[in-house]
Amino acid sequence: MNSERRNPILFSALAVAAIAMAAPLLWTLLLSLKPNAELLRSTQTALSPPYTGVNYSDILGHSAVFRWLLNSAIVSLAVTLGVLALSSLAGYGFARLRFPGRDAIFIVVLLGLSIPEQSVIIARHQMFSVLHLHNTYAGLILPGLAAPFGVFLMTQYFRAMPRELEEAAWLDGASRFKTFWRILLPLSLPAQATLGIFTFLSTWNEYWWPLISATNSDMYTLTVGVASSQMNFAQTNGLGFLMAQAVFASGPILIVYVIFQRYLVAGVSRAAA
Amino acid sequence: MTQARRDEARSGMLFVAPYLLVFAALLVYPLLSGMWLSLHKADLFGGSQFIASENYSRLFHDAVFLRSVRNTVWFVAMTVPVLTVAGLVLALALNDRSRRSALLRGLFFCSSVLSVTIVTLIWRMVLVPDGGLIADLLARMGLSPIAFLSDPRLALPAIALTTIWWCIGLPMMLFIAALQQVPRDLYEAAALDNAGWWRTLLRITLPAIRRTAIVVVVIETILQFQLFGQAQILTLGGPNNASLPIVLFIYQVGFQRWDIGYAAAASEILFCIILLAALTQYFAARNPRRA
Amino acid sequence: MRHDREGTTVGGVALRGISKRFGSTRVLDDLSLEIAADEFLVVLGPSGCGKSTLLRVIAGLESIDAGAIEIDGRRVEHLPPGERGVAMVFQGYALYPHMTVRQNIAFGLLNTAMPRDEIARRLAEVARMLELEALLERLPAELSGGQRQRVAIARAIVKHPKVFMFDEPLSNLDAALRARTRQEIASLHRRLGTAMIFVTHDQTEAMTLADRIVVMNRQRIEQIGSPLEIYRHPATIFVATFVGSPTMNILPATRNARGVALSDGTVVEADLPASVPARDLRVGVRPESLTVCPPGSGDTRAVVEFVEFLGDKTHVHLQLASGDRLVALDEATFAAREGDALGVRFDRAALHLFDAGGMACGRRL
Repeated sequence: MNSERRNPILFSALAVAAIAMAAPLLWTLLLSLKPNAELLRSTQTALSPPYTGVNYSDILGHSAVFRWLLNSAIVSLAVTLGVLALSSLAGYGFARLRFPGRDAIFIVVLLGLSIPEQSVIIARHQMFSVLHLHNTYAGLILPGLAAPFGVFLMTQYFRAMPRELEEAAWLDGASRFKTFWRILLPLSLPAQATLGIFTFLSTWNEYWWPLISATNSDMYTLTVGVASSQMNFAQTNGLGFLMAQAVFASGPILIVYVIFQRYLVAGVSRAAA
Repeated sequence: MTQARRDEARSGMLFVAPYLLVFAALLVYPLLSGMWLSLHKADLFGGSQFIASENYSRLFHDAVFLRSVRNTVWFVAMTVPVLTVAGLVLALALNDRSRRSALLRGLFFCSSVLSVTIVTLIWRMVLVPDGGLIADLLARMGLSPIAFLSDPRLALPAIALTTIWWCIGLPMMLFIAALQQVPRDLYEAAALDNAGWWRTLLRITLPAIRRTAIVVVVIETILQFQLFGQAQILTLGGPNNASLPIVLFIYQVGFQRWDIGYAAAASEILFCIILLAALTQYFAARNPRRA
Repeated sequence: MRHDREGTTVGGVALRGISKRFGSTRVLDDLSLEIAADEFLVVLGPSGCGKSTLLRVIAGLESIDAGAIEIDGRRVEHLPPGERGVAMVFQGYALYPHMTVRQNIAFGLLNTAMPRDEIARRLAEVARMLELEALLERLPAELSGGQRQRVAIARAIVKHPKVFMFDEPLSNLDAALRARTRQEIASLHRRLGTAMIFVTHDQTEAMTLADRIVVMNRQRIEQIGSPLEIYRHPATIFVATFVGSPTMNILPATRNARGVALSDGTVVEADLPASVPARDLRVGVRPESLTVCPPGSGDTRAVVEFVEFLGDKTHVHLQLASGDRLVALDEATFAAREGDALGVRFDRAALHLFDAGGMACGRRL
């Protein structure tokens, strides 16, 4: 929109909003740069130097956070790869191959998009208890693979691909799987990137399921671990350390976001269209 | 010929089978199982009795549950309109190619990338009367601190504020994408028709992004009805259930008291509420074109 | 075209009784056609006439509901496209965007059991033939339209197919490139000597490239013949008006004792066979078979509606007293203007007669 608006009201409102947005983040950072003892007396000291990195070096010595980080990384990567694989295969099947019941089944999958977490989580918890899958990586990975969003995205994407490419491959003697693997899949990289980053982020940030499934502290994901730190805060480590943990925990996800944000934005744009 | 068609069908089924297996086992089965569960009274030792709709009638008389429904509806009313309008305003203000806008967009979106546990940790230290950011600022101004999270009237609004800070990115991005889809010619025609800034906004921009606005409202409604982490971590639903949302109720009943059937029933009711709210909004907004 | 004892063709393509439906619409109806092993066949027709479907059915991209397809003596209608011995150049070329030119060309061969050195040999041969040697490591996005088309053709040639198929390959090119590519395809055919089936809606391409033309309209074959036959002896009004530019003039007429009478009363004398009906006739005459002459002379009188000067010739748009409109061809030096009255003379040897159903009747007058 052509904004010739040097509108001062809008400008100051935007500035206020930006400050309100950034303030909590800045505050957290400042708190993390102060020693615990000092903060115990008063947090106002965070507003002025000197600052120290002692909390961060404490974290580096504190093994639990790294364990949590590892768990999150393993689970998020596994779910991302799993979703990409399953969704691409299913997406191609729904988009390009005809089989009995295809359209009806696809609609059922789409309806799955509307199912909220709480409608399935109790029964899933029961199921996984019976299968002894709690406090395992499998227990944390499997539920994420069922999300219909990926199938929806990949189906739309494959549907939009020009048929001529497939027909050329067909005439070149390629089997269906080869056509999928050598031709269509490589060309679907943008959609894969969007789906991948979206899945990675949402898996990393998951709270409720890991909370009730990974109850041993060495199976905590980073998200759950940070919550447990917060709950135990009073009797354990100290405010500075806690806030450093928050910064530390934000690090990986913000880095991933910055690197891949192009795909996220592209995905949102395509969704809005 | 039929052979080719049969081969295609077989291939097709092989391609979708892996996902459908996972879908059926981990989405469909638990969904149906949950519904079945809601008709039972399950106890800690694995036994269960079929009690039909007794869980549901118990819920309708459960003061805590009803409180949680009221809280959740109130919460949605506080967050969804603000998220939608603020998201739109930000999108309008930041929809250009300048470096500054790109940075600001990044700022407003980055909070959405953080997990609920990090967000609550950050905001705990903003809201807490003893050492929180707001408390410190109030102290500097000579005012006494406000105990947001332990005040029954302020707890839920404080959570709402946290949530708005957290979730503003998505509506903003959706609106920006929608704004960029509006054809330039519309604006140029309006300029030639001497339309001012406000009129262009009202008559051209807003109608053009109507569909996205509906989507934003529906999505945010669905999301915010499922409020859980912020309440659980910041207030544990207190004080005195003043900030207890439905999902936290389900969590407490199902995973702390292990009254699983009862919790399942509550989750089915929530599902219905969400569906109702979403469908109502969708159909109400899709009214036939006014002239 | 050689025939074996049983009537199966050796080399070439034979379609027998092909029928295909899309849902409830009949797209091809009991169609039979034979194509010689070295023939250049053009399937010509407007959009939606079924010509692409015909091509795709031969290629195996669409299945048929009834009938048989033979390629080089083998029944292929049950075979997948990769096993029929055909190659196709698509309208959009369908080059694999993420593969280099070399990989695009070799892809089809790599899917067979062909030894690597044979693949390399064929690749080199086709790259030389189509002057692609410098482009082998490029991606399709880095090529011009004409280059992409050469790669698409190379990809087809390298498989040594029995039949080449072209699905409107020139429609994405600009005019100058189109003419040059037309000639290249013609010379390719002369060099390779393989059967080529070329689908287009452009009659210039058809006339210049074809050994035979199959004119299709609304899922039916209107006529099969050499370009000259199609032009000189169109079997239906559709064929008559589809081929030739400017379009053939069609005038309503009736039969009378002396011959054929136009609406304005002009009588063209001729001996008509008895089979020619008496009413609802159409007379067809091409613009080049009409001569404009001074008013008062010629077969009838006409008024100039407007004139199009093309530089080397002139299209004169005329209107007869009956209201019927005509286009005549004249020299560049045509001098008359709008509103002028002129005479028109018909070249009797070049008149066509069509009945109410659009079919040619009688021989030419």
